[in-house]
Amino acid sequence: MNDSSPTRAARLSTAAAACMLLWISRTLLGLLVSYPIVLAIQASSMTSGPEGDAVLFQPGGLLLLELLRIGGPWLASALRLVLLLALLSAILELVPLALALDLLWLPGGMLLERSARALRLFPKFLALGAIALLAQAALLLAASLLGAALKPALSSADERLRSIAPIALIGLALLGCGWFGGVLDIARARLVQRGRRECSVQSALSHALLCLKRRPFSVLIGMYPSVAGSALACLTAAWLLARQSSAAPSSTAIALGFGAHQLAVLFSIAWRVRWLGTALELSAERD
Amino acid sequence: MRRVTQDLLIGTVFSALSVLLLRALSFNAGVAKASEAAPKKPEPAWPALAEGAPKVASYKIEAKLDTERHRIAGRETIHFVNRSSAALNELWFHLYLNAFKNDKTLFLRSPFGAGRSGDKAHEYGYVDVKKLSVLAGDGQDLWQSRDRHSPDDPNDETDLRVPLPSPLEPGQTLNLELEFEVQLPELVERTGFVGSFHFMGQWFPKLARLLPNGTFAHFAFHAQSEFYADFGDYDVSLDVPLGFRVGATGSRVRESQAKGRALLGYHAENVHDFAWTAWDRFETRSERVAGTEVTVLYPPHQLQNAEAELASVRFALPHFNALYGAYPYPTLTLVHPPEAAANAGGMEYPTLITTGGPWYSTFGGAHFIDVVTAHELGHQWFYGLLASNEHSEPFLDEGFNSYAEAEALEAQYGAGSVFGAFGLSVSSTALNRLISAARGEDERIAQGAADFATFRSLGALVYSRTAVVLTTLARVYGRERFNHALGVYTRKFRFQHPTTADFLGVMQSELDSRAVTALALAFSERATVDYLVREISNAPISAAAGVFDGPSGREQKKPETPGPAAKYASRVVVYRHGTLQLPVEIELGFEDGTKQLRHWDGSGFTFNVDNVGPSQLVSVNVDPEQRILLDDDRSNNWLSTRSSSAPRCRERALYAAQLLLGALGP
Repeated sequence: MNDSSPTRAARLSTAAAACMLLWISRTLLGLLVSYPIVLAIQASSMTSGPEGDAVLFQPGGLLLLELLRIGGPWLASALRLVLLLALLSAILELVPLALALDLLWLPGGMLLERSARALRLFPKFLALGAIALLAQAALLLAASLLGAALKPALSSADERLRSIAPIALIGLALLGCGWFGGVLDIARARLVQRGRRECSVQSALSHALLCLKRRPFSVLIGMYPSVAGSALACLTAAWLLARQSSAAPSSTAIALGFGAHQLAVLFSIAWRVRWLGTALELSAERD
Repeated sequence: MRRVTQDLLIGTVFSALSVLLLRALSFNAGVAKASEAAPKKPEPAWPALAEGAPKVASYKIEAKLDTERHRIAGRETIHFVNRSSAALNELWFHLYLNAFKNDKTLFLRSPFGAGRSGDKAHEYGYVDVKKLSVLAGDGQDLWQSRDRHSPDDPNDETDLRVPLPSPLEPGQTLNLELEFEVQLPELVERTGFVGSFHFMGQWFPKLARLLPNGTFAHFAFHAQSEFYADFGDYDVSLDVPLGFRVGATGSRVRESQAKGRALLGYHAENVHDFAWTAWDRFETRSERVAGTEVTVLYPPHQLQNAEAELASVRFALPHFNALYGAYPYPTLTLVHPPEAAANAGGMEYPTLITTGGPWYSTFGGAHFIDVVTAHELGHQWFYGLLASNEHSEPFLDEGFNSYAEAEALEAQYGAGSVFGAFGLSVSSTALNRLISAARGEDERIAQGAADFATFRSLGALVYSRTAVVLTTLARVYGRERFNHALGVYTRKFRFQHPTTADFLGVMQSELDSRAVTALALAFSERATVDYLVREISNAPISAAAGVFDGPSGREQKKPETPGPAAKYASRVVVYRHGTLQLPVEIELGFEDGTKQLRHWDGSGFTFNVDNVGPSQLVSVNVDPEQRILLDDDRSNNWLSTRSSSAPRCRERALYAAQLLLGALGP
């Protein structure tokens, strides 16, 4: 990605390494985040029968609903812990993200050096993340307030319009959040590119906004395959497993489920890495 | 620019594929099992079907609707036959609409919201009887001598006594003439108006049901209660502005226009109520299903819902016909109220039902439309033809009908009868159990609607728990046998007013006394059951050691050296908590992979399951086929000596966490 213009094969292997890095970190953090829920399910005794947890996936959901009824309080507590862990994990994931960007920008080199650089960038990545979070929350709040304000005005409108309008507004806000995330990635790319040279969060963000101004479509549409790809991957995994779910539960079914889901996660990450490469290119264009 | 175009193209292809997958995931789940050709079985022997009801109160009504002021001017003739064994000195009239007259009525005065919808009245409604006289009599206005309020309730006028000038002997008839005026409320519960939409349920002065002993089953209209009336014939003339579409009980037999108004005549025989609706925006869709003319009245832009309702009727009507006896009326009208009048939805009247749901109800894999349609259609039997007392024994119609609804939906959609999409399915039975499980001991199922502490309690016990009780019986005795027993009940008591005792009588003859005991305990005694196991014991069987005196003298046998035993004695104790005794299967799993099934008839509080065999007992599962849906806690029904690592849950939870991090994360 840098001036040395590596070959296509080298670029692909660098991208693959970045994908693996992000997938491993997400899997490890995912295991941490999901642990309280698994513990809560096991504590309910619903999985202690001869068929283990297969009973929870029986057609009709009788025992799945029984789990919700009996284990409701534990699951609710576990869910709160999950959300807290997810927030912490999202912050921790900034380190592998910085590493991945560094890898894409400067292929080769020592992992130790790279890790040190990523750790140095962590506070700035965190600040950018906080800014993004605030902006995205404001956007969603504005959309829901606008939706509520529109309600009386739409009272005499067609009932379809009345139902769709607030959803459409939230959808647009989510789109805006996504685009803002894209701008944020360019700012992150800028921080990585500047390396040791001093670059404040503010100047990285200004740089990203200038990129947006100069190449609006590249920024706005650049993330589109990543977002749509993630949705497609999730739905494909769900579709495949829905076809298979009627089969008798077995270790093969679990392995297939794991494979399908992890392929979906990898596919999403691959398109994310592709976008990160684009972000690095867009950021470098201004230099 | 090339990169932008490429990204746009890739993103669009991904999005298009996602939409296709989303549709496949949310629309194909739970596709009807009904298309599978079922093997033809010989028709079981059924009791003969009655062709009509003994008519007690028949009504001839003329009603003129003022859609601007939401008023109805009405005249009513009642042909009443004293079919009781006693002379009558009084009549009892239900003026249900007076429940919405002011905030002090029995219906509206609760501070915790009123009625099933929880809605209070915004614009009040009432019915005023202007005159009540004996037709071709001396013209005396009997209404002047009525009681002014419901018994013991000076604030309520929904249950009024009218003394008769002379006793009406058994077998004698009385023709009464009434003039009345109705002011409709803004929609409360099912009745009233919203804009130009009008729904008229329980809108006319109506006689309470005459019991065989000469008393009337009358009651003030309580927010948790429904209705009870005698069978009769209805001939109703409706006068509405031109442009309004009308749906009503019975068949349209007359139609004319005059002075900008439409005059529509409806006729229904062997029914016990008459409801109607008028709206200038209704669209209609009609089809003949199983010999019945089915009409759906629905709001603009909701053709998809109307089609879904028709599809539901196409399955459920023949299904109910086969199970509970043929639907005897020539017409069936479905009314899908507009979103603003959603509270008018989900209600049953003879030959007319109201459904409901927003315009997007058919999207996303939820069978909401099917659930409400099947439920209200089922009421044509469990309310319409078996006209039980909904006030004093509400479970006989709502609970039995919830069973019928779940049975039909599961026959149509299998495990995904409530929801089926994204690989997840939820059945009606599972949902009924979830709703009812925690409330089994709160109150009795078999009590009057007004006696329940809250409507939520009534809902859980009358609707869901009754359905769970019946489903448990169906699973214990076999679905076919139980459905046959229920079919005998519905046929034997068609056009009658069956009670709990009538139902239990049929169960006694079609099932057995244990079923009757279980039903009686479950309905009337808050009975529950919970089967559980606490531990598994295994002991190796070795040759007896010690000092033995035999014919050849004293012999000392040493204990065998420890090692794998040739045989093991295994024991598990199954406990039964609660007072319901239901037979149950117990599945034993052994270390060598073999399984055994043991049967416990449920008597006693404990059951020792012993086994001697070459392999140790490693697992036990009480009721592996989940027949005892009433079992309070299923998490204590099993044990395994092998710890479960819950691999499926781990895998799904990891994936969910990865997706969450993908959405939340950087």
